[in-house]
Amino acid sequence: MRNKDKLPRVRNIDARKVVKEAYVYVILILVVVVLTLIKGEVGQRGNFLFWPNIAQILRASVPVIMVSAAFTFIFITGNIDLSVGSTVSLSVVFYSILVLNGFGFLPALLLTMVLGAVLGGINGLLVMQLRITPVIATLITMSAYQGVARYLVPKGISAIKSGDVLKMPEWMSDFSRQGIVDAEVSKVFKEISWAIIIAIIVIVILVIVQKRTVLGKYMSAVGGNRTAAELSGINAKKVVWGVYILIGVVTSLAGVIRSSNMSIGDPYTGIGLETEAIIACLLGGTVFTGGEGSVVKSVVGAIIIVFLTLGLKQIIDPYYQTLVKGIVLVLAVALNHVLTRERKMAQ
Amino acid sequence: MGKKNNEVMNLKRGKMSNESFINLSMLAVLILLFALASIFINNYFGVPTALNLVANNWYYIILGIGVTFLLVSGHFDLSVGGTLAMAGMLSAYFVQDSAEGFSPLASGLGMGYGWAIILALICCMLIGVINALFIAKLKVASIIVTLGTMSVARGIAEVVGLGAQRSANLPEIYGKVGNLSLVGPIKIAAVIAVVLVLAALFVEKKTVFGRRTYLIGANQEAARLSGIKVERHIALLYILSSLLAGITGILLASETKAAISTRGAGYEFNALVVTLLGGTSIDGGFGSVAGTVVGALILGVVSSASFSLLLRPEWQFIMKAIVTFLAILAQRYALDRRSR
Amino acid sequence: MNDNVLEIKNLLKDFPGVRAVNDVSFDIKRNTIHCLVGENGAGKSTLIKILTGAFTRTSGKIFLNGEEYSAHNPKHAGEQGISTLFQELNVVDQLTVEENLTLGIEDTKFGFLRKTNKIKKIIEVLKDIEPSIDPKERVSRLSVAKKQIIEIAKAVASDADVIIMDEPTAALSEGEIERLFKIIKKLREQNVTVIYISHRLDEIFELGDYVTVMRDGMHIGTKPLTEVKDRMDLIKMMIGKTVIECYEPRDDMSGEVVLKAKNITNHKLKDISFDVKKGEIVGFYGLVGAGKTELARAIYGADKYSGNIMFNGKKLGHNPGKTIDAGIALVPEERRTQGLFTLLTIKRNIPVMNMKKISRAGLINAASEKNVSKEYIETLSIKTDSMEKETAKLSGGNQQKVVFSKCLFADADLLILDEPTRGIDVGAKAEIYHIIRELAKEGKSIIFFSSELPEILNSCDRIFLLFEGEMRSELQNGDDIDNQSIIHICTGGN
Repeated sequence: MRNKDKLPRVRNIDARKVVKEAYVYVILILVVVVLTLIKGEVGQRGNFLFWPNIAQILRASVPVIMVSAAFTFIFITGNIDLSVGSTVSLSVVFYSILVLNGFGFLPALLLTMVLGAVLGGINGLLVMQLRITPVIATLITMSAYQGVARYLVPKGISAIKSGDVLKMPEWMSDFSRQGIVDAEVSKVFKEISWAIIIAIIVIVILVIVQKRTVLGKYMSAVGGNRTAAELSGINAKKVVWGVYILIGVVTSLAGVIRSSNMSIGDPYTGIGLETEAIIACLLGGTVFTGGEGSVVKSVVGAIIIVFLTLGLKQIIDPYYQTLVKGIVLVLAVALNHVLTRERKMAQ
Repeated sequence: MGKKNNEVMNLKRGKMSNESFINLSMLAVLILLFALASIFINNYFGVPTALNLVANNWYYIILGIGVTFLLVSGHFDLSVGGTLAMAGMLSAYFVQDSAEGFSPLASGLGMGYGWAIILALICCMLIGVINALFIAKLKVASIIVTLGTMSVARGIAEVVGLGAQRSANLPEIYGKVGNLSLVGPIKIAAVIAVVLVLAALFVEKKTVFGRRTYLIGANQEAARLSGIKVERHIALLYILSSLLAGITGILLASETKAAISTRGAGYEFNALVVTLLGGTSIDGGFGSVAGTVVGALILGVVSSASFSLLLRPEWQFIMKAIVTFLAILAQRYALDRRSR
Repeated sequence: MNDNVLEIKNLLKDFPGVRAVNDVSFDIKRNTIHCLVGENGAGKSTLIKILTGAFTRTSGKIFLNGEEYSAHNPKHAGEQGISTLFQELNVVDQLTVEENLTLGIEDTKFGFLRKTNKIKKIIEVLKDIEPSIDPKERVSRLSVAKKQIIEIAKAVASDADVIIMDEPTAALSEGEIERLFKIIKKLREQNVTVIYISHRLDEIFELGDYVTVMRDGMHIGTKPLTEVKDRMDLIKMMIGKTVIECYEPRDDMSGEVVLKAKNITNHKLKDISFDVKKGEIVGFYGLVGAGKTELARAIYGADKYSGNIMFNGKKLGHNPGKTIDAGIALVPEERRTQGLFTLLTIKRNIPVMNMKKISRAGLINAASEKNVSKEYIETLSIKTDSMEKETAKLSGGNQQKVVFSKCLFADADLLILDEPTRGIDVGAKAEIYHIIRELAKEGKSIIFFSSELPEILNSCDRIFLLFEGEMRSELQNGDDIDNQSIIHICTGGN
């Protein structure tokens, strides 16, 4: 917070505005600092700020980060999607089954993404065409998709994995675990998996869509003032439907990555993902009343959660995770409320 | 023209309130499903099955009471699943002997059983207070807040339970309460559920408090202008809901003589689904605990029937989703037609 | 090309039970500023809504640029050349000025937004109208005045032939109004005709080339402003001779003051002080935006205010619950969203403000509840076949009677009525006036807020005139009341 004093005194309003816009970054820095200081020698093995350590955390969290980024869109339109966790679960199982049965990487990947589009499309149908409240609609699909995911795993086993007859191909985990280059070439880049690259590409695409495309603009319009948007001829139904499909695709991609991580198709993977995505967006300052939001800041919010949960795991016992997430969510809500209230009053 | 006929028929039949209409419709659905199940499944039809429906779903019924009241007032409470787990875990922790040399999961604060229960329930009510603070006072969206408090409550359960369970070193009385049978095989939990439902129905229909809940849900601004202390009322509802969740958690832990940190996962969503199935409107101002009970039974029939048909247990989720979906559409359609 | 941009011929619009627009015909000349005036309920907004496509006409024809015109929604109207600036601003706060101007008409390539000449042209239009607005600015940061200008620019850029403005100056400061007028006058030179609706007669005289007066759904007259002598001339056309003065001065009042309000001030109200006597009916009259509802809510404690109100010797609290306990009840302005629980039945609505009376120790006495409803249905002649009928299904008049029942059941000694007969048919109105008079005879005091002069003159013993949050005048009702001077004061005159 100290660098805020450097801003010229005259433009006091700007200083406050910067705080409001940038507090998520500040929180990220704080979290990193605290985690680094807790244990170990800075920068060395055993410490938080050890590159392979951070990279490992990021590799494992690609799904959450991607989903949080896409989740921003749905908030911008003023809706919600509680089914993302189940969509991941179903995508995980679906992809694993395909791969186990001999499908190649690309075909399996594409088919899974088509599945994601369908799942998202169903959400869009329920919310926009049948006009069911988003909360209920996505609760219904959350249950349905989870059910299908579990159903697809044959009785007796807990997840889709290598068995006696069929085995998971060797290359399956490469996507999520293997670095893009070998250790000989670059120690740093070895830690970056293909999945991380894909995630970065997806995030960049989402940012571009939000800032430079018509869809991005219409999302804000529909969420900000649906009447004004429709008066201008915007088809709100199509816009929101499109966003649900987009989330479906991104989420299914996240499922593929998650599945690659462990080379299994575990139908319980996605549980709780929607809560994490909500926390990420709240931390990033997205208001759930619609109209605005930032993909980049939601990503930062997701990274904060991931650092807190996985990073803390190394220091304190893993069963603290849920509590930490809960407290962060409540604090994020409070923070969000305080800041948006000021914004409203300042107008 | 259809409208005119409808009006004439209403006058003849005597105006049935919308609420009764929905309740009876859902009851009809329940009976229909039960009948279908009885036809296709051997030995399904009969008193034992029916009793089991209540015995196996009592926890959704109790949770449903709190969730229903809140939904009628126009708000959600998704924190009940976590609160439930927290109550069970805390009650175990409070009651376990504080002995040295025991493993951490087997030693606690050594309080008397009665005090342990009371203290655990107070902690649950604190969750309700946090909910009330954000939702009633700061007017933050209830879905988001209660998702947060759900995680906090469950988090506490996981921390105190070290991610596992507390089942060792518990006094006799701990397991007794949940397993008490008053009449034959009917456990006390089911009886408590019935008693609470009757109490809730009484409050709903006969008390000023119940009436005000409907008023707030029907039109919060008009309620405020009519002199109702809206914020305070909502706060009380949240505290009540958390208290009910706590009672459920303690009974569940007692039943199995174990406090498991993952207990009740997903129960909050089921409680909501059951409430909606029962005809309570998501917009508030309309609904009844009676409907919620019917909804819980419908869900019970669906699960037990699928199980008996040797369908895999995973079908439950899919059936739940389909039934809820159809119920929501049907209710909306029915109410639309009635008001035309 | 025809001199007239719009020709309205025999326009008729019926709603159930009410003829809102009654055989209206007049022409609007091209490139003029054409003002539309009339009291509340005169039919102006209905007419405009037909022009913008929000309503469909029952019968009659409209010609735009000589060709028959009809629109089924505002966007359709906009495409044909009629744009409307409503009182609720239709801008998206979260977008920038530029984005709002191009909303719905963007140039795209494969979905990507492109900055083409079209966008540059629109920005040119904006700059021409108001150079101080930065196109990259977020709209939420702009004042209401500037948001309006953005809407105007958008309309002009869409090659609108006609721009309709409905009470555009309601939320503007004096300087902003001046700027707006400059812009409007310039529009004439840009081949745009402006239809300007306002109750502020000074503005009509400053701005207008022509004026059309409507009353009771009918067209009274259309004249060039040069042929209108002065305000009084216009006012005479607006209210005609339809004011039936049935008021009879009363001699049954005790003269004892029950309510004394001092220096009531808030964001809208400016230092208002007045008093009310026991059994008196006091009226507050003013046009839209004068501050009536704000004052009603302030007295009731529903909104914040600074100042002091003493009722029956005690200071009034700042929340509805306390005010009700003190003996005051409010009939709110919007009965459907504020006064009633439309989802619930009559029986459930009436006792709400005084549950103590039908309950004991928190338990509702069903028999009492039934009797109470029966009593009020009878006393106030609420037309319903059952007390179990949902209030949503009642007619406006009967709904209002339920609201009155609510307040009466609260054992109020003073009732605040905010537009109590709005949207109610003539028969029900008469019944409500009767109820009000009976209440006053029983010794209850009434504060009557209304924007319909006839009913104020009909019912009230004393009349306060409001304009822009200020109390401008206090009159005793009687034979020497001058309607014209009342309207004069309420439209800003002295």
